[in-house]
Amino acid sequence: MTNLQEDSSTEQVDRKAAARFVPGQPDMWVFVLFESLLFTGYFSVYLIGRIQNRDLYLQSQADLDLRFGVFNTIVLLLSSWAIARCVQASREGAYRDALRDAFLTIGFGVAFLVSKVLEWVKEIRLGNTFTSNEFFQHFFFLTSIHLLHLLIGFIVLGVAVYQLWSPARRSQQLVETCATYWHTVDFLWALIFALLYVVR
Amino acid sequence: MSTRAGSPVGRFLWNFRNHPKRELWFAWWVMVIFYQLYGVLFFLVTRVQPPASPAWDTPMVVQWFNDRHFGLLAGFGVVFLISGLCAPMNALLAYSMRRMSVSRVFGYSYLIMYSLSAIPGMFVMAIAMTVGALRPDRDSELIHWLFDFAFLSFSGTMGVFMIGSLVWLVAILIDKNGVFPKWFGYLGLCNALTEVVVAPAWIFQRGVFAWNGAIAWWINMVVFVTYTVCFIVLLRKMIEREDFGTGPLPDLPPKAERSQPDSVGSMQ
Repeated sequence: MTNLQEDSSTEQVDRKAAARFVPGQPDMWVFVLFESLLFTGYFSVYLIGRIQNRDLYLQSQADLDLRFGVFNTIVLLLSSWAIARCVQASREGAYRDALRDAFLTIGFGVAFLVSKVLEWVKEIRLGNTFTSNEFFQHFFFLTSIHLLHLLIGFIVLGVAVYQLWSPARRSQQLVETCATYWHTVDFLWALIFALLYVVR
Repeated sequence: MSTRAGSPVGRFLWNFRNHPKRELWFAWWVMVIFYQLYGVLFFLVTRVQPPASPAWDTPMVVQWFNDRHFGLLAGFGVVFLISGLCAPMNALLAYSMRRMSVSRVFGYSYLIMYSLSAIPGMFVMAIAMTVGALRPDRDSELIHWLFDFAFLSFSGTMGVFMIGSLVWLVAILIDKNGVFPKWFGYLGLCNALTEVVVAPAWIFQRGVFAWNGAIAWWINMVVFVTYTVCFIVLLRKMIEREDFGTGPLPDLPPKAERSQPDSVGSMQ
């Protein structure tokens, strides 16, 4: 009898897990999908431009400082790691740890922001601006639109902190939704990094 | 009851006089018709969309006006006539926000913003293009100036649309009445971000960021059309679910129960 009860309860848990097939609100995954499609469009336009004007792109790419690109990528990956830990801690009810990880994520995000602005300043000092040539149009466009996502990400992380702060709130679903957004910011950067800095 | 069960015309008239949601359905149908007309007028009659190249020289621009002379006059003539349709459309959008559990500020600010947005989004272009078409004898440089003025006002003034999308987005995300699904709020963020992308059209005359560019126009248009289709469908669902209360909007009953005489089927 006990076994039977255990079986049925495990079944229920399984069913619940199956029903909740994505972390956070499924609605946020619509955003992830749509943004991915949108950026696929931007990347396709970039790649077509690159095919048509390969020498210019290669020449301009040489002006980019790979160290900034690598640093930014590592920092954002670390931020993703921190937000994943935050979700984990929050799931386990360790809200103090979750809050610490959320602030750590914000810290990495700020480090990315500062580094990105410094990189822009360096490029502009080198004479590479938004209007310099086609490659730098794409460079400044993609990095700016990504930075805009990052800035919105700070608001999103603010929502996560707000949720974790008071025992009266603490919606696990919202925390996971915020984390999903943040991972998207990281995911998009990884693609932008590969396309702008690495692909030759 | 027997009147309603009668001919389609009879049912329509009954609904027209008695349906509690008739104003909402009127506004929704105006929205559907307006967007259809907008597409036909801008793409087929006036042929001002997809936009011409900003890099053209003056003789080409003058030629462009000459080629479209009657289309511009006829198309924008209709645009001037139907522009008032924006009012019920904006009212329905504001209504959706008033039905939410959020401050009235959202609905009213959206209403004001989108009422103003008709000026750069439609009127300025319509006026500038009509002037260009009706004054072909003027200095060709002036005609070229009108061309720039029309397209830059149309494509380059997206700030008001961006803030509008953000207002709607925030309202949807904090709403507890479930008037719109949250995914539509997030889609609003995608739409708002693409509005920013048009800004470089002020700087570039050629390439992907010019007002006819792959990023500034084509991709944005796909996002805007997707967003518009989504909100038209969702507004329809909102009207169907509307119970004129103040609490959470009830879900629609299953389809089998919905095909009852008091449904709005006869108006659709």
